[in-house]
Amino acid sequence: MELADRAIGLLLSVISLSIFTYYTLWVIILPFVDSDHFVHKYFLPHEYAILIPVYAGVVLICLISMFVGYVMLKSKKKKA
Amino acid sequence: MKHIVKIMALLVALSAIWISLLQTSVLPESYTWLLPLYSIVTLGCYGLLMVGIGLMRFPTCPQESLLLQEDIVEAKGFLKEKGVDIGSD
Repeated sequence: MELADRAIGLLLSVISLSIFTYYTLWVIILPFVDSDHFVHKYFLPHEYAILIPVYAGVVLICLISMFVGYVMLKSKKKKA
Repeated sequence: MKHIVKIMALLVALSAIWISLLQTSVLPESYTWLLPLYSIVTLGCYGLLMVGIGLMRFPTCPQESLLLQEDIVEAKGFLKEKGVDIGSD
């Protein structure tokens, strides 16, 4: 099963690299480009560059705290 | 207790650098406001990349796996004749 492992590893690296390059281009390079260049079509409006990571972080914290709460409740119910 | 003091000192130093960047306007202001968020996203991407690379380069050692299976069979036989119940067979 090492082929499946390597495929998943490759997929993860590709996803992380693409997210990094897209975000870097969005935040750093795009403000320097003239506003009527065609490249602006491929990127969402600039406010989303802030909203999407913050929203993803909030969702992640919610999921983690739900998981922690669920595990705590299950352990308390088993002990009682 | 000393560990959290070190972490807090690091956080205070980083925020001092950020505020000084804001005040002295080395970079344009819009960039300086987005800098912490950008570094958090970059850190997450870097962690994901390290996990992916580690998954790709994980060694499986097939000879060690065979030796381990032989060891397991030998240990099960030894324990069974001593009377210990192994269970999952």
